Amino acid sequence: MDLFLQTLVNGILIGGILICLTIGFQLTFGVLHVIDFAVGGWAMLGGYTAYWLVTLAGIDPFISIFLVFALFLLIGRGLGPLIYRVRTSRYARPDLMALAFTFGLFLFMRGGALWLWSYNSRSVESVLSGQFLSLGPVTIPLMRLSAFLMAMLFSLGLFILLYRSRFGMAVRALAQNRDHAGLMGVDVKRVSAWVYGIYTGLTASAGVLIATIYSVNPTVGIRYTLFAFFVAVLAGLGSVGGVLIAGLALGLLEAYVATYIGARYSLLIVFGTLYLALLVAPKGVLGRGI
Amino acid sequence: MSHKFSRRKFLRNSLLGTGAMTLGFPALNVSAQEAKIRCGVVTSLSGANRFGGNLTRRGYDLWAEEINKLGGIEIAGTRYPVEMFYGDAQSQPASGADAAERLIIQDEVDVLFGPYTSGVTLAVQPISQKYRVPMISGSAESPNVWLAKPAFNFGMIPAVDLTTDKSMVVLADTLGDRAKTASVIGVDEPFSKETAEGFRKGVEESGLDLLSYELFPAESDLSAIVSKLKSTNPDIVAVGGHESVFINFVNTAKALNYKPKALIMHYGVTSAAFINETGSESNGILGVSVWTAGLPYKDDLFGTASDYSDLSFSRWGTRPDYTEAACSASGLVLQDAARRLGKAPPWNQDTRAQLAKAIEDTDIETFYGPVGFAKEGSHYHNNTKPVPVVIQIKNGDVVPVAPENASKGELTYPIPGAS
Repeated sequence: MDLFLQTLVNGILIGGILICLTIGFQLTFGVLHVIDFAVGGWAMLGGYTAYWLVTLAGIDPFISIFLVFALFLLIGRGLGPLIYRVRTSRYARPDLMALAFTFGLFLFMRGGALWLWSYNSRSVESVLSGQFLSLGPVTIPLMRLSAFLMAMLFSLGLFILLYRSRFGMAVRALAQNRDHAGLMGVDVKRVSAWVYGIYTGLTASAGVLIATIYSVNPTVGIRYTLFAFFVAVLAGLGSVGGVLIAGLALGLLEAYVATYIGARYSLLIVFGTLYLALLVAPKGVLGRGI
Repeated sequence: MSHKFSRRKFLRNSLLGTGAMTLGFPALNVSAQEAKIRCGVVTSLSGANRFGGNLTRRGYDLWAEEINKLGGIEIAGTRYPVEMFYGDAQSQPASGADAAERLIIQDEVDVLFGPYTSGVTLAVQPISQKYRVPMISGSAESPNVWLAKPAFNFGMIPAVDLTTDKSMVVLADTLGDRAKTASVIGVDEPFSKETAEGFRKGVEESGLDLLSYELFPAESDLSAIVSKLKSTNPDIVAVGGHESVFINFVNTAKALNYKPKALIMHYGVTSAAFINETGSESNGILGVSVWTAGLPYKDDLFGTASDYSDLSFSRWGTRPDYTEAACSASGLVLQDAARRLGKAPPWNQDTRAQLAKAIEDTDIETFYGPVGFAKEGSHYHNNTKPVPVVIQIKNGDVVPVAPENASKGELTYPIPGAS
């Protein structure tokens, strides 16, 4: 029973990490209709930035996460018009062009990280690293708990932004119909660029937490991209609300399979579930995906 | 003086010039080749494995520099300097094979020194076989490299299944009655899986009770695995994986308030990067190494293992690990085989085949330890002689703790603060 409860906690906390990673990805897909292959790259760069900030300036990741968010918000905002231009190109298959573009971006990030930080894994130390809370037989790692709380905060912040602000209204309008939103006076290019900025900011911030929980090296990006795709597909592409349920479901599934069936089969079963989900509910758990 | 252009004269001079170049250059080339032993190095000088690739290059280069200080390799009373040629495998097996072919055809190397990774080594093996060029590999550790029984390839580092197997036996012997149970986990990918298999075999051979053996995908979150280990709390936990997995394991275990009584990992644990990144958490962790500077080995060129370490430090600014040492020792193997062969370079295909036979018969002591290649079995042409050393990290230092003849400190068991 102790192991069962511990697995429950482990699963929920893994879910928190997955939600952190995917929520921005979903937003950018919903608005820009871009499957951003660079999602893992942004998370990796966020982790490395936190690593630099803690080793060079002694800034704890819980403070640097805000700096990382601001920095990557601006980088994404700067890159946004380019993504928008590729995605709305009049040449053939702009959707595939955007996918190829972000894949190239991802390779550039990976190569840059190899050049800057070499192949070695880096740990990002925080005041909460290795700290835990004991509740009877269950141990709750505080870093993972923070990531979970941060995931909830990200989600809440995003919902408030989307449903309680004029900017959010413009974003939702854009997600529904770009042309109509433009006709109603929404500055489509500007809003799209800011959405991409918010996405990169959120994902890089998630990368800070992930690097603190695990470690960071130039090859982790592809792993995070894979997980973001898992969650996004189960949630329904573009469905921000579905991410919460899908992230928790996949986290719990991975934890219970690894504990009671065998860690070797965890990803196999996660893949299988995803396959079934695509067959049964292609629009995701809430049926709101594209 | 007439400067009138004569077409006939121009054609005649051109013809004579071309003829002289065609006939003269090979003669010059041959005379240059006669004086030297041409050694090709195929390794990863760029790409993901460039760090390890450059370690191998350092090891090979250090040997070349030292032997050339003496005038080169002595064969039948005459010394022949060595000349090094490099081919960048770019961390890709196919590129490694291309680089090896270029070295053999264009640079006409007499012998190859092998790549950093097992994957590239496997790709280069058929090339060395095709052109009958002996290749001494200072780094490949996967047992798969030797399964195909490569006639021209020789490996200096014992395959990982041998080192982890023997190290677990050595550890169990040293701990005696204090350790009765063990669990083995490993990443489900070739190298790490072989490492874990070796640990499992060692657990079985040493009579320990194997509580669990589990493989997991490289992308897995380790919290479930650590929670299970925590619930059974074995006396020894062995991990097969790479440095990033080790770091994740240590971080996850710490976050879940679990510290194994003995935690043994493989190669990456001795690297400065691992110790730096895990900080005080690395204290007490055990690792496996086939060579350390404290071992009581020596030879005529490098002196003792400690002398080699000092020499490498003065040349490159960092202390050598066992990969670098094995690469330098590869040169010693070539030296010894060429001396026994007794034929002056350049070596044609038949002579190179004889050289391969001479390498196969190697039986020498070096600063790196004893070298002798298996002539049959699943580790064909792998140097199976070195006995692995169990090391323990103590306050950031890598200290050999077992077996007794290599020990420089006492094995700390259980790790302070263990669960």
